[in-house]
Amino acid sequence: MFFGTYLTGAFGPSQELYKVRNLEKRGKGSLEEVQQQIRKDTKAVIREQERAGLDFIIDPAFWQYDLFQSLENIPQIVRTRKHENWFDNNLFYRWRLSVDAPLPAATGWFEKDLPLDLLPKDGRFMVILPCPYSIITLCNVSGYQDKKSAVQDLAKLIRAEALHLVSLGAGRIQYDEPAIVQKQSLGSLEREDLKLLEAALDICGTIPGASTSLHTYFGNAGPILPFLDDLPVDCLGIDCRKTNLSSVLQQDFSGKQLALGLIDARNTDPEEPEELVVQLQKVAEQCHPTKLWLTPTTGTETIGYTPGLKKIEILKETKRLFYEKNPK
Amino acid sequence: MKKTPSRLFPTYEVGSLPKLPARTSALEGREVADDEMQQLKRLGLKYGVDSAGAEEVIARLQKEKRKPASEERKQLLDFNALLNLRIQEKSGIDFVYDGEARRSEMYRHVVQQVEGFEDLPEMIRSQEEQSYRKSVCVAEPKLKLGALSVLVEEEFAFAENNALHKVKVPLNDPYMIAVMSDNRHYTRIARKQFPEDVWKQEYQAKREFTLALAKDIIRPQVEAVVALGASWIQLDLPCATVNVEHLPIVVEGVNAVVEGIPASFSLHFCYPRRNSLTKKNGYELLYPHVLHLDQRVRHFSLELANADDYESDLAVFAQYNTERKFDLGIGVIDITLGRHREGLYEKPQLVRERILRAAEVLKDPSLVYVAPDCGLRQLKLDRCIRLYEIMVEGAELARRG
Repeated sequence: MFFGTYLTGAFGPSQELYKVRNLEKRGKGSLEEVQQQIRKDTKAVIREQERAGLDFIIDPAFWQYDLFQSLENIPQIVRTRKHENWFDNNLFYRWRLSVDAPLPAATGWFEKDLPLDLLPKDGRFMVILPCPYSIITLCNVSGYQDKKSAVQDLAKLIRAEALHLVSLGAGRIQYDEPAIVQKQSLGSLEREDLKLLEAALDICGTIPGASTSLHTYFGNAGPILPFLDDLPVDCLGIDCRKTNLSSVLQQDFSGKQLALGLIDARNTDPEEPEELVVQLQKVAEQCHPTKLWLTPTTGTETIGYTPGLKKIEILKETKRLFYEKNPK
Repeated sequence: MKKTPSRLFPTYEVGSLPKLPARTSALEGREVADDEMQQLKRLGLKYGVDSAGAEEVIARLQKEKRKPASEERKQLLDFNALLNLRIQEKSGIDFVYDGEARRSEMYRHVVQQVEGFEDLPEMIRSQEEQSYRKSVCVAEPKLKLGALSVLVEEEFAFAENNALHKVKVPLNDPYMIAVMSDNRHYTRIARKQFPEDVWKQEYQAKREFTLALAKDIIRPQVEAVVALGASWIQLDLPCATVNVEHLPIVVEGVNAVVEGIPASFSLHFCYPRRNSLTKKNGYELLYPHVLHLDQRVRHFSLELANADDYESDLAVFAQYNTERKFDLGIGVIDITLGRHREGLYEKPQLVRERILRAAEVLKDPSLVYVAPDCGLRQLKLDRCIRLYEIMVEGAELARRG
């Protein structure tokens, strides 16, 4: 059984980065100093991922304020002036984006923000892109007559960028999809939502030259696991702080990779690797995924830099222990 | 005798004002720039607050290149607090406070006085480049010895003794502190209680944490200020709707704070989930839960100007008015940084229109109070003063119809 580990989202900034950002904000430092610190911290977190033997390496995204930020590099997508809360871990506010039509199948809009030169070029680097369904659900798509056209155009845009990033060395594309499972948790999910997600992934779910993962979080995936399992992606990511493991264990994931967010990215309480291994073994035995991954539920940004490093250590130790009990 | 407004559309400040830069530099032992000193003198003169004592302290600290001693610190804080009161009063605001001049920021001011909390090593990003120092709850929270004096007693006594207008005291709501903290202690307990059910783990951990904060951290502050004469207390609840499933906890937390206290309470809400992924959005999400609030909660303060959708945002309050009426503090000033950076201001006429739109939706102008969307601490002080003037002028225009 292949078992691996990786991070799934933005990492908390270091105190040094906070300091230089604060100085810059007060007019006592420069943007260049902020960018230098971002590069320094990015290198450090990439090094930590390598050292811990994580199977995919991500950009810790210190430049990123939220999941949709890079979309603003596309002229048809602009910030509105409206502040709002999105999810439980957004303590403060995000700007709502407005999507105008027609969207071009442009490339380079995500690459522009990515520190490509710092990432490994051997297929181990993973890019995290927003899933089209979450975009249409959380943004205004006033430029479109119907949601299906919007989600399809967004999927084409994202597919084009994913292909571009694969040509630059990415080996894994993760689509972040919080909205579908949150709607499920809140009892507001409709058949139409599932169709829209499916329509998007029919376009961008398969990317030649890379594996893809639909990473769901902030909601209970349990009741829709059979549907998610059928989607055209290589891997399904599940937030196990929102989805009971018992729901996962009821599903046969033969033919699909499974990424279990058993590491709580929103709480500093350290997980016990011994306990994690027991849970992982159960899933491996009962669910039959082609590959089994252990990940944090989402980015560890809201617990900060040092606790984020501790979570990497837990990933490392769990992997060691898993293979000790289940030799390759 | 303090001035009690009897007119329509009374005005108030939500809570914070920016710290006076000269005071901040002096407290941190930094050099006080000439322009900071000039501003202190200018505002002192304009608002009739004697700045000689503060100037003397700053001059001494600069000369001796040191941080202030306790009495010097108090002098600087008193000056800033009094200046904030006079700025609000002379701007024409009806209900005032000290602009939270003694508080570092809303969250940290409280958690620093709580046993059972530990700081995370790094600041946590909140919005864009804004950050805050998050704390981890590692044990049952208890107020430190002498905490009430630091948290509210000194602050309230000074404001109450010096204010010429009626005072409204802003305090943190327990749910807000629970949301902003890392809830390690109660999560650990809940995971043992409900090992197979992650939803119950999360709900129970948040509920127990909120109720502990309500009972042992916030309620004692409320009791302390009421004992000193406070009659209107505002609990700040910016994050009330971040987790739609947790709204019953929000209500339980507020009730645990206010039950049996002889005072009036208001709740400040802002930036609700206007896209909640359910059929209800924004302030609709508060209902029917808020119908179960203790009767002492009589007023809501609402962010409305940023969204500028008064009809839609307020419809739910009108809809439920027959079941339970709340006075509403209508946010008429958008306090977001984007407008600040672009130097944009509302016009008094726009403020008037917003007030009248709110009164029209609510079908009862007597329910309408007027306020900024939220506290102003992120803005420059001179901008805040101008925003106050615009708000007061707009309210006056609205009174004329």
